[in-house]
Amino acid sequence: MNIAVCIKRVPETAEAAVNIDSSEKHIIPDQLVFDINEADNYALEEALLLREKTEGDITLFTVGSKESDEVIKMGLAKGATRGVRITPENLDNLDAYAVAKLLAEQVKEGNFDLILTGCISSDVGNSQVGVTLAELLGIPHATLVIKMGIEDGFATVQRELEGGLLEELKIKLPALFTIQTGINEPRYASILGIKRAAQKELRVIENITAEGMKAEVVKMYYPPVGKMAEILEGGVEEVSGKLCEILKGKGLL
Amino acid sequence: MNDILFGCIQCGRCTGGCPVSVRSALNIRKLIYRSLIKIKNKSKDLGIWECTTCSTCSIRCPKGVDVVDYIIDLRSDEIERGKVQPQVRDTLESVFKFGNPWGRIREKRADWLEGNGVRILQPGDKTRFLYFVGCTPCYDTRTQEIARAMVRVLKTASCDFAILGIQETCCGNEVKRMGEVGLFEMLVEENTKLFKKFDIGTFFTTSPHCFNTFKNEYIDLDFVIEHYTTLINRFIKEGRIEPRGKFEKRVVFHDPCFLGKQNDIYEEPRELLRSVPGIELFEFERSRERSLCCEGGGGRMWVETESDEERLAVTRVKDAAVLEVDVIATACPFCLLTLEDAVKTSNLEDSIKVMDIVEILDEALGLKDEEERVPEYQNTRSSDSKQSQ
Amino acid sequence: MTKDIFVIVEHRRGEVRDITFELLTKGYELSRDRGKLLAVLLGFQNEKIIDKLKPFAETILNIDDERLKEFNAEYYQIVLSNLLQEKKPFITLLGQTAFGIDFAPSLSTAIDLPYSSDCLDLEIENDTVFTERQIYGGKINSRISLAENWGYLVSVRPGSIAPRDVELVAEVVDVSSPIKEDIDYRKFMQYVEAAKGEVDITQSEVVIGIGRGIKEDKNLSMMEDFAKSIGGVLACSRPVVDAGWLTKDRQVGSSGKTVKPKLYIAVGISGAFQHVMGMKGADTIVAINKDPNAPIFTVANYGIVGDLLQVIPKLNEKITELKGA
Ligand SMILES: Cc1cc2nc3c(=O)[nH]c(=O)nc-3n(C[C@H](O)[C@H](O)[C@H](O)COP(=O)(O)OP(=O)(O)OC[C@H]3O[C@@H](n4cnc5c(N)ncnc54)[C@H](O)[C@@H]3O)c2cc1C
Ligand code: SF4
Ligand code: SF4
Repeated sequence: MNIAVCIKRVPETAEAAVNIDSSEKHIIPDQLVFDINEADNYALEEALLLREKTEGDITLFTVGSKESDEVIKMGLAKGATRGVRITPENLDNLDAYAVAKLLAEQVKEGNFDLILTGCISSDVGNSQVGVTLAELLGIPHATLVIKMGIEDGFATVQRELEGGLLEELKIKLPALFTIQTGINEPRYASILGIKRAAQKELRVIENITAEGMKAEVVKMYYPPVGKMAEILEGGVEEVSGKLCEILKGKGLL
Repeated sequence: MNDILFGCIQCGRCTGGCPVSVRSALNIRKLIYRSLIKIKNKSKDLGIWECTTCSTCSIRCPKGVDVVDYIIDLRSDEIERGKVQPQVRDTLESVFKFGNPWGRIREKRADWLEGNGVRILQPGDKTRFLYFVGCTPCYDTRTQEIARAMVRVLKTASCDFAILGIQETCCGNEVKRMGEVGLFEMLVEENTKLFKKFDIGTFFTTSPHCFNTFKNEYIDLDFVIEHYTTLINRFIKEGRIEPRGKFEKRVVFHDPCFLGKQNDIYEEPRELLRSVPGIELFEFERSRERSLCCEGGGGRMWVETESDEERLAVTRVKDAAVLEVDVIATACPFCLLTLEDAVKTSNLEDSIKVMDIVEILDEALGLKDEEERVPEYQNTRSSDSKQSQ
Repeated sequence: MTKDIFVIVEHRRGEVRDITFELLTKGYELSRDRGKLLAVLLGFQNEKIIDKLKPFAETILNIDDERLKEFNAEYYQIVLSNLLQEKKPFITLLGQTAFGIDFAPSLSTAIDLPYSSDCLDLEIENDTVFTERQIYGGKINSRISLAENWGYLVSVRPGSIAPRDVELVAEVVDVSSPIKEDIDYRKFMQYVEAAKGEVDITQSEVVIGIGRGIKEDKNLSMMEDFAKSIGGVLACSRPVVDAGWLTKDRQVGSSGKTVKPKLYIAVGISGAFQHVMGMKGADTIVAINKDPNAPIFTVANYGIVGDLLQVIPKLNEKITELKGA
């Protein structure tokens, strides 16, 4: 079985401050640390686990700058067969549709039985690329997949719905699934492994221009400081005391 | 890999001395036996992640077998296959991405200073002493106190010292012991390159773990490397620091494995403690070469033990309780954290405190109170901090 | 030409989901002076659902087909691409939910509709559609404009619009189902309930939510002690479940449970909207986080900026004191 996995390099912003540049359309990446998008990492692991059971290749695709080679190499170190990086000239103003279209043009050549992506990217969070790609390829899909099994050309998947409810679907391959975090336990890519991965095939598609954008960032801005919590001031001792008083006052203790 | 094991006569002295063999699946002699007769090792049942790399085994081996290195090799195999505990994975990824094992961003590495004026080295700068703070005292709120105490104590010695601020990066001691060779090499390379940008006289660390790797495993450093206990002890002897004040407490010293067993530094910390007026110093029955490991080394800060048996740190704390001491003194951030945790689980919080030696010195000197009391001090600090900008 | 607003009705197991009423509220606002508000209902034997929807829309387009009994993106796409191309609504609204995420991107691609997903709000200025989105975990907002077209697709984040009663009386228009053959490449099999655990976090008046900030499972016992002394139960964000520290039934948020306790204390939780959705209904929210910029502080009533490893033991001590007294 041949599997394609689409991955993306994103900044880690859980603790870091995120700043907007002067164009007001991009963030300033300088101080930020980048890594593979969390959900994509689970998608990659799912592919690796499947491949442990069946024969086949795993091809990684990414749309991104040259730096995205980092996450491709990490995936290659973990066991993917080859990588493809697509870097259009107008990388800076793609929308989700354009990304999916770039991917589709490369992925359709590969005769894949299964295509996996993350269910959301932690930077812009559109949750569009996977399903759009499936449509462009003309294959069925399922999103938010949290369990997956493959048998006789069909996949049985469980999708995560709201409120802890799951939905079980049977889908004919080839198909595309967007993978939800928690489906597995991603493995570690050692530094030596990443170095060795430099020998694996990494194809670069450049000198192309993406087309068909339908959504454009007009402006980025810092969220208005709307409603804000009353931050209790003081040392640990003091704030603990204050909070207890407040809770007691509200009859919550 | 079996080369390392050449010479083993299966006498079992290694296992006999191994502190974790009593409470886990790890049986180092058996592990070696299996390897010698080529049984495939499966780590989970063999407990290779239980090892704290305290190196008791290597020290005890009559044939000079480097047992610890063998365990690290076994771990390396697992790292290469990538299937390690999530906690191990996250720790190593964090070192790779952020330069520290705690998953915290680099920008906050110097936040422990809390506005204290300390010179931060810039490329081309020269310093007599470079204080390498280490990841744990930089980020962990409890051990940040050690770093702040260190700064206060050093200021009284009016010596020319500086820190690296947010340029500082993990030393790699634990990374190496978790078997991530490639990452360790990368850190050695990057750190060496960084240090070459400065003119450093003496380089000293908070942690014996950082000290150990810089001293013994970095080959290309051209400055003196010390653990702070030897440096400050010397300052005291030279009269540059005068331990005034009093610390009237019963204190027992816990030897950090990476200071004692691995680097033969047993006397200086004790001398240092003895020089503080008022201290009544006690010894554990198991001390110096025979000291019991706290289980904080070898990556064990990030690897949860599979065992339900009593943690060694708890055993250690109970031993301290028998000695009826007020304070367990140590000189390692990991020891401090594991022992303090054990004090809590043993419900001994009201009677025993765990302190780093430099915190004891700081308290005896009354520096912390002074800082809080005397606002003039702030002025001298702010002029300092201008320098550091 | 009138510019109608379509709202795709989301329902599951016979219940209309809350997001539908939020969308209808927004749709009503957008449709004034432009056109009509239509609810588009795909389902099977829809009478009950129609009754619920009537006061919220001007027209209900009712597509009744046994194959639409459960949600299936493939059938939805057949029905909606036909309907939208025929009726040409100006804006079609749907929810950024497990339902919307699964069919909106392919629908927009199939019929070439500009689509903006996961929006907090949308505005129309001189016929151009602008949406407001949150990116980078809520640290930045972005304003998006959609390329000129006859119609647009916008998915809205649940909980971002307060539903209002609009007191309409909808006319029901039956639309025949364009589905011809059964689809064999995607089949709904069954619903699966998540494993049930021993406590029901939705029943507790005090819920302590712990997040990735607790760092290691060994800090769990500290949190358990705290929960016990304050008289609450432990719940968590998703990473805590992913790490295996707590079971799935303790997860609060869009893919977990929704809790509405009297008091919710978020400890080491950044406040990702998927989590916030599950707890913002709490009467009083307290957040403890060491990042002063964590989005959780924008939903909390009270905040403590500090290290949970220090704050929690101290708080525990004080509460035990208070309760003892
Ligand atoms: C489709 C989908 C569904 C999802 N459903 C859910 C869901 O139902 N529920 C859910 O929770 N998530 C859900 N998520 C995940 C969600 O997007 C976030 O990733 C998650 O909520 C983040 O959890 P967290 O706040 O615990 O972790 P993080 O975002 O990593 O935040 C950790 C926080 O802890 C703080 N911190 C760290 N150390 C300390 C310390 N020592 N003291 C104090 N504070 C500290 C940090 O400052 C940070 O703010 C879903 C995601 C997707 C894509
Ligand atoms: S102590 Fe040395 S010789 Fe004895 S069993 Fe251990 S490794 Fe072998
Ligand atoms: S290094 Fe220490 S813990 Fe590890 S095997 Fe040797 S004696 Fe045991």
